[in-house]
Amino acid sequence: MASTSRGESLALPKVQCPNHPEALLVEDYRAGDMICPECGLVVGDRVIDVGSEWRTFSNEKALKDPSRVGDAQNPLLNGGDLTTMISRGTGAASFDEFGNSKYQNRRTMSSSDRAMLNAFKEISTMADRINLPRNIVDRTNNLFKQVYEQKSLKGRANDAIASACLYIACRQEGVPRTFKEICAVSRISKKEIGRCFKLILKALETSVDLITTGDFMSRFCSNLGLPKQVQMAATFIARKAVELDLVPGRSPISVAAAAIYMASQASAEKKTQKEIGDIAGVADVTIRQSYRLIYPRAAELFPPDFKFDTPVDKLPQL
Amino acid sequence: RTVALEDWSLTPLNEEAKLGARRLARCLQKLGFKVRFSAFRVVNVLAVCSMPFAVHLVDFTKNNRPIASYEPELHPAATYRIKNLKATVQVFSTGSLTVTGPNVQSVASAVEYVYPLLYECQKPRCK
Repeated sequence: MASTSRGESLALPKVQCPNHPEALLVEDYRAGDMICPECGLVVGDRVIDVGSEWRTFSNEKALKDPSRVGDAQNPLLNGGDLTTMISRGTGAASFDEFGNSKYQNRRTMSSSDRAMLNAFKEISTMADRINLPRNIVDRTNNLFKQVYEQKSLKGRANDAIASACLYIACRQEGVPRTFKEICAVSRISKKEIGRCFKLILKALETSVDLITTGDFMSRFCSNLGLPKQVQMAATFIARKAVELDLVPGRSPISVAAAAIYMASQASAEKKTQKEIGDIAGVADVTIRQSYRLIYPRAAELFPPDFKFDTPVDKLPQL
Repeated sequence: RTVALEDWSLTPLNEEAKLGARRLARCLQKLGFKVRFSAFRVVNVLAVCSMPFAVHLVDFTKNNRPIASYEPELHPAATYRIKNLKATVQVFSTGSLTVTGPNVQSVASAVEYVYPLLYECQKPRCK
């Protein structure tokens, strides 16, 4: 918008009221005028109007918002590109004689960020498969951008870095996903994701909290269809087992799986080790091993107000 | 250029290590490769050591945040990297350690360095 003319000389051509050269002009942007406040003379006109072109009513939500041009900007993540792309034509004129469309390819946009945009798309796909909320995806995108700009992991496959960023983001938000769960939605092997994970932590100089058994309880139990009582019991068992240190050196996932097994076997909803192993990504035998470790003290591990369908001494012994 | 992995159950002395390398070179020669023994150099030393107490890894990691890293899904041990000695100590929950370093001296000092930290996080104590 044109700047108000001042007393000092500017390089720009000044508009000023002929009668009052010292007066500061007032802009009336609705009418597109510059008016002298002293005498009311309209000095400049046909100034470009920055108001919106058509009225939009907030209550009706049309599919497109006519006052916006283009997609919602994502300035944090992209390089802030304002490039124009040629989309696929719709009318008849856009096709040439063979039936191929003219102007076939979209012009490449910001090739330096193309890999990053690809990765964002991949992240979004992966997160969608396990139904991750928007905040985790945003965090993942931010992490990926930081790693990408640092270029210290440039040689690694972008998908691997994306998967590792997703893992870290889940951890940082307090809802960790196991490596196996991330593996399930990614084409990268667990080993590679683990390697990238460690490299990213070193590159970004952050650290993550350690996983606990309780982080996974609600997810695993819901997937198995266990009622709230059993879930709470399993959480209690796992926590108690770790406190009493009955399972030294066992991964928290295995302990959680064994706790779920014990809780489900004591209730009306019995689940087999195979089912639990399937959901948790833990091997059958691993659950058996951890279960053997917690079985001797089973009586103390249950919460005090638990209603037993199968009493403690009748729990299966493997 | 061959890299030889040698397993020492005795205290390694440089001469014995060199003899072992020579023996290895002889084996290779018998296999038919052209062998010339020159510039013997110890690159990496791996030591196994065991504490008389079990260690609580979670507390150990929490106390030594950026230097120690514990990822139970990936590896059952907590890794502790000592930058100035360039040595890495892997601590298992049973109390055994695996120390790797460029030479025997750094490995020994790494064990001494990490011992007080482990002592604090003993099993019956800091639970």
